[in-house]
Amino acid sequence: MAGATPTTYSPSPTTRKTKSLIFRNDDVDWVRTDGRDFHQCRPAFFKIGAVNAAAGSAYAEFGNTKVIVSVFGPRESKKAMLYSDIGRLNCNVSYTTFATPVRGQGSDHKEFSSMLHKALEGAIILETFPKTTVDVFALVLESGGSDLPVVISCASLALADAGIMMYDLVASVSVSCLGKNLVIDPVLEEESYQDGSLMLTCMPSRYEVTQLTITGEWSTPKLNEGMQICLDACAKLATIMRECLKGPDSALEE
Amino acid sequence: MGNDTELVTPGEKLGRASEFKAGRGAYVSPDNLTVYASLTGLRHIVSPPPDSPDQRPIVEVTGHKAHGAIPEPGSIVIARVTKVMARMASADIMCLGTKSVRENFTGIIRLQDIRATEIDKVDMHKSFHPGDIVRAIVLSLGDARAYFLSTAKNELGVISAQSAAGVPMVAISWTEMQCPITGQIEHRKVAKVGG
Repeated sequence: MAGATPTTYSPSPTTRKTKSLIFRNDDVDWVRTDGRDFHQCRPAFFKIGAVNAAAGSAYAEFGNTKVIVSVFGPRESKKAMLYSDIGRLNCNVSYTTFATPVRGQGSDHKEFSSMLHKALEGAIILETFPKTTVDVFALVLESGGSDLPVVISCASLALADAGIMMYDLVASVSVSCLGKNLVIDPVLEEESYQDGSLMLTCMPSRYEVTQLTITGEWSTPKLNEGMQICLDACAKLATIMRECLKGPDSALEE
Repeated sequence: MGNDTELVTPGEKLGRASEFKAGRGAYVSPDNLTVYASLTGLRHIVSPPPDSPDQRPIVEVTGHKAHGAIPEPGSIVIARVTKVMARMASADIMCLGTKSVRENFTGIIRLQDIRATEIDKVDMHKSFHPGDIVRAIVLSLGDARAYFLSTAKNELGVISAQSAAGVPMVAISWTEMQCPITGQIEHRKVAKVGG
């Protein structure tokens, strides 16, 4: 090092995150890693009744994103809770140690837990189980991008499987803003290079949005476009979810 | 009534609110226009009771598993007494009506709710012992901790109890049960079973 050490600190320009080659150009010439169109979702797979011990459960697989959600209850609220005339919803999202490419701690995800709670509570008819609590435990088996939207959709399916009264199923889809392009249902790599993200959670047949999360910089037309394609994708996702509920797995009782 | 076997899922439209009333597993949207399903199951149309002023048929969703039963005021429960204190006894609810509960719920029988008459002369320890099986009615949702239960009816009270010798006792009066082996008499708030 020649000369005196600098007295002030400024971020060096080289630490700015560098985009990988395919995302570098802001034109439409690149293709997505899995060969999808920008507005094409990954194939969705749902299965209900994956956990025997739970009142209701569902497994979802979107590409490499694999989650399992179990629902317990309604059961007695914890003793420390105050009396309430309506039911409570308790959500918990956790990751397995092997969910991420880098082996993690497998700990609870507080932020996702509260976002899952916010996304679902508007859709559940809480008045039908006063004083009691419904527990929703989501476990991300493999994180392949768009984890939270998959968790939310899967959780609503698990709630339906548990027989919890709901206003509607809840479907959730996210889009990433990469340069000029909007890519729907981003994979992990696309999420790490995104300039902004938008996640929309809605009740498709009621056409009501229960949650909207936006990060990064968005222009109004972009935002509109993003919300439109999300709403459209949610409606299509819901038809897949309904098919799963009506499928041969659904246990019809006499 | 025609399409009785249609399988529906939460959020699916069941009909217009002007034509149908929402029954079990269904609800009316806030704008009062549409009836939606809130459960997965079969769409059923039930004709209204002939004496009701509202003659719209009732649409309901049935057949699929509903969530486990939860106690509500007025339901008859079978509970096991866990703890007896001077002013109240706590009990774990085991059955709701004829169905066993999937999850455990706690109930409390307060001293004043044990019997209907002479409630000032009731002694908690002469009414219940831990381990007794009681039939009770849910009075209210209670407080944050437990549901309030009552045994203030002839058919409510202890239906099964074990003596100190560990054998099921036989009821000999409204307030007494006897051990068939030792002949020892213990006090209970006995329920009138059968008859």
